[in-house]
Amino acid sequence: MAILPEAAKAYIGVQAEDEIACDPVERGQVRRHAQAIGDEDPMYWQACAGNARYGGPVAQPFFPIHMFRRTYGTPDPVEENAADLDYDGALKVRGGLPEIEPLSHMSVMNGGSEVEFFRLARHGETVKLRARYVDIVEKQTSKGPIILVISETDYLTGDDELLLRQRHTRIRRPVK
Amino acid sequence: MIDPKKSLCFEDVDVGVEIPRLKKGPMTTAHLMRWSATMENWHKIHYDAPFAINHDKLPGVLVNGSFKQQYLVQLLKDWAGLSGWIWKLSYQFRAMNLVGETLTVWGNVTGKRAAPDFGLVDLDIGIVNDLNKESTPGKATVALPFRAGKPLPYPFVAPKLSP
Repeated sequence: MAILPEAAKAYIGVQAEDEIACDPVERGQVRRHAQAIGDEDPMYWQACAGNARYGGPVAQPFFPIHMFRRTYGTPDPVEENAADLDYDGALKVRGGLPEIEPLSHMSVMNGGSEVEFFRLARHGETVKLRARYVDIVEKQTSKGPIILVISETDYLTGDDELLLRQRHTRIRRPVK
Repeated sequence: MIDPKKSLCFEDVDVGVEIPRLKKGPMTTAHLMRWSATMENWHKIHYDAPFAINHDKLPGVLVNGSFKQQYLVQLLKDWAGLSGWIWKLSYQFRAMNLVGETLTVWGNVTGKRAAPDFGLVDLDIGIVNDLNKESTPGKATVALPFRAGKPLPYPFVAPKLSP
């Protein structure tokens, strides 16, 4: 049984406007990130041999992808869905791209990524992203059909220096 | 963390060698809640057991995929050291990891290639649990300088490779 709605395919090629992270690379946020992943490398918090070639303390390689948080004055999905027992809490808008409405009733899981790294963000730098949907396909698995949503996102500094490029797959499947 | 006394060169690496493993865990709900809060992602399957089990029909609270990808980077960063650069990284989330599991992050050198100004080392990477079940298979390419060569370009410039 096919589960991919035709209307979902219209999202292939949709490109988001550049989105600027609501906060620059914050020293405190880099610390929380380091402690959460259990990697308190001095390169993330003080000038040292590990960051000499980067010009001082830097953020973790994947840090830029987690900088796009809800800004002041925007709708709060946690509050809005507080009475909805089916609300899963997952971020519904990623990389500045719109939610794919025909798939919005399906669960979402992280299906993996291909990433290229070019530069690390320094403390205090602004980060922005540029994203687009590149493919949306259905796949049969031993546990039933799934939908793969593939997007590509460039993370750049405010001066358009490329930090990393991520091609990301999200798995959508009907909730049983 | 990166060993400030260690500098790895392309010539130091042999194909077939396993790089030092990274152990994480046992993973607890506190680890997952701390990571979810750091990311400001409130997906309940990572901290709300009744929701994960009863609503999403999962076997328990899941370790975030975004969490595991940080571990892959940590493994490679620490190995590449002061002079190396993680250029490419790819991975899939093929199996779930649950609270209570201890994760071992691993990497094996599968190939070496010389680019014009530096070397490239290809690795298979992944994350296994206590039962040695693989959850996050992937591949990586790490750039390393030649022993008698120049430091890597920074920002990193992807080399022009012949097909």
